Amino acid sequence: MDEAIQQRLTAIFRTVFDEPDLQLRRAMTAHDVPAWDSLSHITLIVAVEREFRVRFTTAEVAALMNVGDLADQISKKLS
Amino acid sequence: MSARRDLDYFQLLKESRQAPGADRPENKKIRVAVLGDCATQHLSVLLRVLFSRHGLEAHVYEGAFDAAEGEACNPQSGLYKHDPEVVIVLSSVQALRDKFYQRTASAADFRDEALSRLAGVWDAIRAHSQATILQTTLVAPFERFFGQYDRQVAASLSTIVSDVNAAIVSEARRRNLLLVDLEEVASWVGRRSWFDERLWAIAKLPTAMEHLPLVAQGIVDVTLATKGRAVKCVVLDLDNTLWGGVVGDDGPHGIKIAAHGDGEAFHRFQSFLKELKNRGILLAVCSKNEHENAVRPFEVNSEMVLKLEDITVFVANWENKPENIRKIREALNIGLDSMLFLDDNPFERAAVRTLLPDVMVPELPEDPADYVKALVELNLFETTAFSAEDAERSTLYRQEAQRRIAETSAASFEDYLQSLDMTIQMGRFAPEQLGRITQLLQRSNQFNLTTQRHNQAQCEAMMNDVEGCLPLTASLRDRFGDHGLISIVVVRPDRAADAAVISDWLMSCRVLTRGVEEYLMNHVVEQARQWGLATVTASYIPTAKNAMVKDFYARFDFRKTVEHADGRIDWALPVAEYTPRSVFIRADEER
Repeated sequence: MDEAIQQRLTAIFRTVFDEPDLQLRRAMTAHDVPAWDSLSHITLIVAVEREFRVRFTTAEVAALMNVGDLADQISKKLS
Repeated sequence: MSARRDLDYFQLLKESRQAPGADRPENKKIRVAVLGDCATQHLSVLLRVLFSRHGLEAHVYEGAFDAAEGEACNPQSGLYKHDPEVVIVLSSVQALRDKFYQRTASAADFRDEALSRLAGVWDAIRAHSQATILQTTLVAPFERFFGQYDRQVAASLSTIVSDVNAAIVSEARRRNLLLVDLEEVASWVGRRSWFDERLWAIAKLPTAMEHLPLVAQGIVDVTLATKGRAVKCVVLDLDNTLWGGVVGDDGPHGIKIAAHGDGEAFHRFQSFLKELKNRGILLAVCSKNEHENAVRPFEVNSEMVLKLEDITVFVANWENKPENIRKIREALNIGLDSMLFLDDNPFERAAVRTLLPDVMVPELPEDPADYVKALVELNLFETTAFSAEDAERSTLYRQEAQRRIAETSAASFEDYLQSLDMTIQMGRFAPEQLGRITQLLQRSNQFNLTTQRHNQAQCEAMMNDVEGCLPLTASLRDRFGDHGLISIVVVRPDRAADAAVISDWLMSCRVLTRGVEEYLMNHVVEQARQWGLATVTASYIPTAKNAMVKDFYARFDFRKTVEHADGRIDWALPVAEYTPRSVFIRADEER
């Protein structure tokens, strides 16, 4: 995972899920984060869009429920 | 980004984590319910945060998704178990659109059906609860099937939506619903950014997330207005706020205030303020100037929109502004938290914010052309009613100033009261008074013994309870003018306790020390006697603002019976021991 992206993503995850010590791993999914449910997922996606100035499609929003995929999508959209 | 800096979604999310209410145990509670045909979970988080910014701990009930009718029509539903003070019926245009696409009947039938469903929800809520109903307007849809011809087609979606909105507005007037005007909010933001079709598809969110705080703030603003929050007076600086330039240097004709050219922004700002005055908001001037210089433009410059008679209190001197604002407050007898201070000078704004934190002090933009826009965006002038008294308020307060002059010329205070030639008209609540009654219940803070904020439905219930309740209004008139409805007293005969129970007693502070209270107490005790009851009982419930009536009942020889731990005091008066007070008010026979 791109380090700069990971750093910014970590800050977002910590804010959205209210876990100040959260450490991101590529394999991490909604199952690993107690507060990551379908509601907060929307908040997460909107926060990511705002931070990286990218926009996900409806299908992407629904699919991006693991950290690795999310980070990959971000770097793809940024490149 | 949100249209307002103080309403950033993620900032609010962080704020919500600071456990609203927990750190402020003095917070009052408010029970609200949201019935939405869209997702409401994110919204209810925002509602809690925004209410807590105003010292209210909100308990939010979220009705099941798109089930307003079921919740409203079932007296056993979670909605009524929650016992909300306020029910928000949140109608989203996306839900209406999706149903429109599936219609089997004509567009007109579809529209009528949608309206009758809404009316069914309102009726059911009214039947099963006394909650205040807030209904959102529909945001205009972006779908156009006929291009710009769309609104000329009676059956197009945009026409149907605007028909439904028109009906919501007229029903709101008729049924005393309060509007949360999302159509207005969305068009202000811009519907292109308002709608997020992805979030609707995935989660049924009614707006893009960044705008959701505006929906919540709209709801909070209206709710707070029902709880009595209102700007009652706008305190205005003069130089470079009300006009361009410095009157002391430029002279009364040299200032910029002409309707065209470099004075136009100020001219327009004054016109806006004049409309506020016409709707019942008092205008006061607080300026660092020689008084003589400060009043000159009002007297001699014909380009000025505001005239001296539009200004209720005029203070121009070289003292500090917080002190002068305190004087204005005393002259008007209103709370500091109902005052709004407008000044182009950041130093003065900071001084007032620091020394009078209750006074609202918005930032003003650098360009006076943007003053009105900035103020409107903050939505500071919310209200829940508009009555004839509002339009007359400014005049009433000016008459009050004339009375003070009469007061100083009368030999004694009794002579003065005599000279006022006062008459009072009393009677049970009447249907045409309900708007004003509700408004007075919401606005009166100081002379208010129990501060029960009954809403209109509750007042109507009292009005109709002819056997069990005597809800009285009093309207006062004197030789200087008509004060209108200025006092409310609610008495109930309690046969079991052999007592007449005063549950509410409040009065507009404008009419203090005229003998109105004495007149009403004479009436209440006489009523108890006619009911054949032995005592009159009453309570005082302390709030942050009503200390002035702490000993109100002692004045009438009531005795304390119980002093509760929460500060509430119960009082009782044996009817036989009461001596009617002498007053200088006659019953009004003419009206």
